[in-house]
Amino acid sequence: MPLSQPQTKRAEGVPVTSCWNCKGAVSGTHFCGACGKIQPLPAGMDYFAFFGLPRKLTIEPAALEGQFHMLSWKLHPDNFVRAGEFERNLSLQRSSELNDAYRTLREPLSRVEYLLEFLNLRKEGTTKQQAPPELLEEVFELNEWLDELREARTLGGEVVLLRGRLDAAAGNFQAKLTEVDAELAALGAQWDAALDSGADEAKRTALLTRMSEVLNRRSYIRNLVDGVQQEIAAA
Amino acid sequence: MGRVVGIDLGTTYSLVAYMDAQSGAPKTIPGPYGSSLLPSVVSVDAKGKIIVGEDARDRLLTEPELTIYSVKRLMGRGVADIQDELRIFPFRIDVKSDSVIRVNLGEKSFTPPEISAFILRELKSWAEAYFKEPVDRAVITVPAYFNDAQRQATKDAGRLAGLEVLRLVNEPTAAALAYGLHKQKRGHVAVYDFGGGTFDISILKLISTTEGDIYQVLATNGDTHLGGDDIDNALMDLARREIQAKFGVELDPRGEDVQTLRKSLIRAKHELSSAQKTLIEYPLGAKGMYIREITRAEFENLIRPIVARTMTPAKLALADAKLTPAQIDEAVLVGGSTRIPLVQKTVGEFFERTPHRELDPDEVVALGAAVQADILESGVKTMLLLDVTPLSLGIETMGGVIAKIIPRNSTIPASAQEMFTTGVDNQTAIDVHILQGERELAKDCRSLARFQLKTPPAPAGLARIEVKFLIDANGILQVAAKDLRTDEQHVVEVQPSYGLNDTEIERMLEESIDFAEQDFAERQVIEARTEADSILAATDKALKNAGSSVVTAEERVAIEKSEAELRTAMKGSDYKAMREKIDALNAATEHLAEVLMNGALSTALKGKSLDEF
Repeated sequence: MPLSQPQTKRAEGVPVTSCWNCKGAVSGTHFCGACGKIQPLPAGMDYFAFFGLPRKLTIEPAALEGQFHMLSWKLHPDNFVRAGEFERNLSLQRSSELNDAYRTLREPLSRVEYLLEFLNLRKEGTTKQQAPPELLEEVFELNEWLDELREARTLGGEVVLLRGRLDAAAGNFQAKLTEVDAELAALGAQWDAALDSGADEAKRTALLTRMSEVLNRRSYIRNLVDGVQQEIAAA
Repeated sequence: MGRVVGIDLGTTYSLVAYMDAQSGAPKTIPGPYGSSLLPSVVSVDAKGKIIVGEDARDRLLTEPELTIYSVKRLMGRGVADIQDELRIFPFRIDVKSDSVIRVNLGEKSFTPPEISAFILRELKSWAEAYFKEPVDRAVITVPAYFNDAQRQATKDAGRLAGLEVLRLVNEPTAAALAYGLHKQKRGHVAVYDFGGGTFDISILKLISTTEGDIYQVLATNGDTHLGGDDIDNALMDLARREIQAKFGVELDPRGEDVQTLRKSLIRAKHELSSAQKTLIEYPLGAKGMYIREITRAEFENLIRPIVARTMTPAKLALADAKLTPAQIDEAVLVGGSTRIPLVQKTVGEFFERTPHRELDPDEVVALGAAVQADILESGVKTMLLLDVTPLSLGIETMGGVIAKIIPRNSTIPASAQEMFTTGVDNQTAIDVHILQGERELAKDCRSLARFQLKTPPAPAGLARIEVKFLIDANGILQVAAKDLRTDEQHVVEVQPSYGLNDTEIERMLEESIDFAEQDFAERQVIEARTEADSILAATDKALKNAGSSVVTAEERVAIEKSEAELRTAMKGSDYKAMREKIDALNAATEHLAEVLMNGALSTALKGKSLDEF
């Protein structure tokens, strides 16, 4: 039976201390500083490090994109068509890692999710999602309306009014989503500041834990909104 | 190493192009008839000889049973997938087909990659005749929306044709590259590629860096079964209905009559791109003649639903690129079907600007392929293509639900890692099923491959096998697995769901050597005949002019005997025999040639001495 566990995103590869080609010590991130050859991915290199960035959650999109283009130009398999199989594979490894890293870091949401996953503080899908306590009442009401809508649909009852109510509720939850995103951004800024000021482990872990909670709430609301919209579309 | 070319392997036409070093511009290579468009039609004659291109297309009218067109529609597909096509296209599918389709062509049956390889081999020979040098590597273009199996099938076709496929490039991206060379453009570009059998839309961002230009595809979408063929079929439906109503004649969709009608419908379609009306004429023998005037307005009404179908992918691609039509700086039209005014109008209205059509829509993809081939070959990079995977990659999880691991429109190469373990005690194999598509359930997505991960018996959940899925720069999937407990690399034997495995490819490669030998023999025969023709003509002329003083009666008899023998040999197809007789004739005329040569010399000397007087 296939069992796909949540991805723990660890950059693959072997620890590199010396260049495979010139045997000199490797100083550059992607290429050997001495002979210029592309290097294997070191184990445990995270997406932030791949871009030469600290693990901060505020990233200037234009700067990241510029870096992505610059690295693409250097690492792309086009450059290694005439190289040996070993180097061709390194290019494939590095350029796919570059694309995966850029895809993940360019969106603020996937960026924070990645950081938490990388630090083993978040495993999405392993625990059943529970309604956040402050939303319990509204969620309860929403589910009742959804039941009524399904019933009305099968029995051919009045759906227009119900649909209007659900529309309004979905809008309400959508607004909560915006609030949650703002909360996440604020926590992200605190995290960045904590890194800058060299805050202790406990403080940083506390921030990460809070971010994880907010993300859980966010994905709960997101699913709720998606579900309501599907029901409305079907009615 | 031989030369490298760019190839557009199209549904209707295929082209080969190269980078001209002198002009620094890509150029298409013409075939023996002067045109650079090779009809993608393959036929087989009574002797089992393969005929490709113009001659094969002519045989659609005379030998439709032995001729196949639009084979691209079958690439990377299974028998169950093509039931809809079979109602419209006269493909003769071998009943013995299993996961890979086999098409009957005369007494043999071939897979779509083998048939495509005949087309590629023809283009290769065009290029070799043009360069007078062997060609052994190519960049081949594919529709952007081709899935893994369709891409793999195209790569297999290249290999079977004796070409190392340096890269598969998406057709709209190739077109953007050709346009980029033609005229420097910046910003967001939409490439609308409506060809003979496929439709693609790609949204690109063009970036200038200090190193060079980057063509970054932001999103792509399309329909691999939507093209000019569908327009032809709509016209065909109309004509057949009317012929049935007026003349009571039911045309067999797979018969040769339909091919004649089809030809006149395609001609009408082409004419309506410039004319406001045209005539469709089709003789029905004793029943009379189907003559039908069709106006452009009527044609447009007929094809409007087909053109409208291209707009859904266009909107989806824009949404994925997070852009609005107004944010598109340039729209580019590619593919023969974009000659239709309604198509131009529809695209222009959607993107709110006049689309570019400066480059020949039939040639532009091949030109772009040649540019990419040159970059890869020369190692001098002046520009970089960053393409995307058109479809999400997923694996089947419990309950037949798909877990997406690489989302669509991810820049390639792209990868994902998944950890697998056992679900019950002492389980020794874990099944992995890989799919491509956007739907939630495995049954609604395209099955790409299955494989098994082997693990020693152990309590459930103890095994830890890490599988890396990697989509390479061709858009083709590679799989590698590693047992994290032993740190051993697993050998993953992937069984493609709709493709050829390595053993099958090897066998076909061996068979294709027979074809290559056949090709070689044919060329030798043609060359020997040509040479024999010119020797015979020269000998005849010499004998006629030479008096008895020059050539003795005996000698004359011997020469005439050799000539007759050569003429007999020329009627056969044994080039070695022809060569022998050519040599024999050369030997027989040796003395005559010498005398004539001396005579010519002395005449020349005499002429000179006369002048001096």
